[in-house]
Amino acid sequence: MIRAALIGNPNVGKTEIFNRLTGLSQKVGNFPGVTVEKKAGRLVHQGREIEVVDLPGTYSLTAHSVDELVARDYIVLERPEVIVDIVDGTNLERNLYLTLLLLEMDANLVVALNRWDMVKARGMEIDIEKLSELLGCPVVPTVAITGDGLEDLKDSIVDAAGQKRAKGQDAALNYGCDIERLISKVEDLIRKSPALVEKYPQRWLAIKMLEGDEMAMEQTRACLSSSQLAEILSIIEAVEAAIK
Amino acid sequence: MSMMKRLDELMPGQGGRIASISSCGNLRRRMMEMGLVIGSELKVIRLAPTGDPVEVLLRGYSLALRKNEAKQVILEVDAA
Repeated sequence: MIRAALIGNPNVGKTEIFNRLTGLSQKVGNFPGVTVEKKAGRLVHQGREIEVVDLPGTYSLTAHSVDELVARDYIVLERPEVIVDIVDGTNLERNLYLTLLLLEMDANLVVALNRWDMVKARGMEIDIEKLSELLGCPVVPTVAITGDGLEDLKDSIVDAAGQKRAKGQDAALNYGCDIERLISKVEDLIRKSPALVEKYPQRWLAIKMLEGDEMAMEQTRACLSSSQLAEILSIIEAVEAAIK
Repeated sequence: MSMMKRLDELMPGQGGRIASISSCGNLRRRMMEMGLVIGSELKVIRLAPTGDPVEVLLRGYSLALRKNEAKQVILEVDAA
């Protein structure tokens, strides 16, 4: 079975796509421990069974709100085979922020470029091939309210599940050599802890630690020695000095 | 000629380019995530009767800010 998670900014048509994909097979529950609704449904495509989970709509993936934390923990800890990022095509610039965060998490991404009918109606032009090349993942135009493009989206989910995302394509976000140097220092420290390597995408964790992300610090404390922690804290100080 | 103004000092229809954001920590981060980044252009669409919140248009979408938050956004405004 393929596990796929739907994510996207609020009001991009995410739930409409979820309903179209799963029809009447969905179940509503809660994410364990928090009152954020979890909707999951199933479908069969090309003979493969796909379980789809609808994650809360978010603009970002910080640890500051329950919705964002639920979405982020699901992606990092449950590691669904495919993440479908639903993007409002009429508002690309705003929506791609989340897309870049997802790429940073090493997510095996498929981008659904929704509201494609509106994009055309407004006379906007989006070079889908170029976007796909720059992001290093498939981009599928969709119209949630009519269902256009959803068969292509299902094809892309099945295709993506069969292949790991090529490493080294995550050059999508380069923070500049000062910060990059410090990111790789923290990554080196993370690599010394097998428990962390096993559990988290290393670059993502390094960046979160440098941001001073509370959850990242809390969840990793047990896996690092006190000297390693001290070293990371001094690198964080160096980052803050560098961006002042 | 351009001058610096705080976002909460603008009237509907006026706009400018973000020169700096004086908030820090989580609020600064959140504001940047919502698209308030140095160099981006924005325009005030309307104000609530008390002047709080403020609705602005940026990057093709609208965003509502508390007056407290708007005060922290410094804009470069073209003096027309």
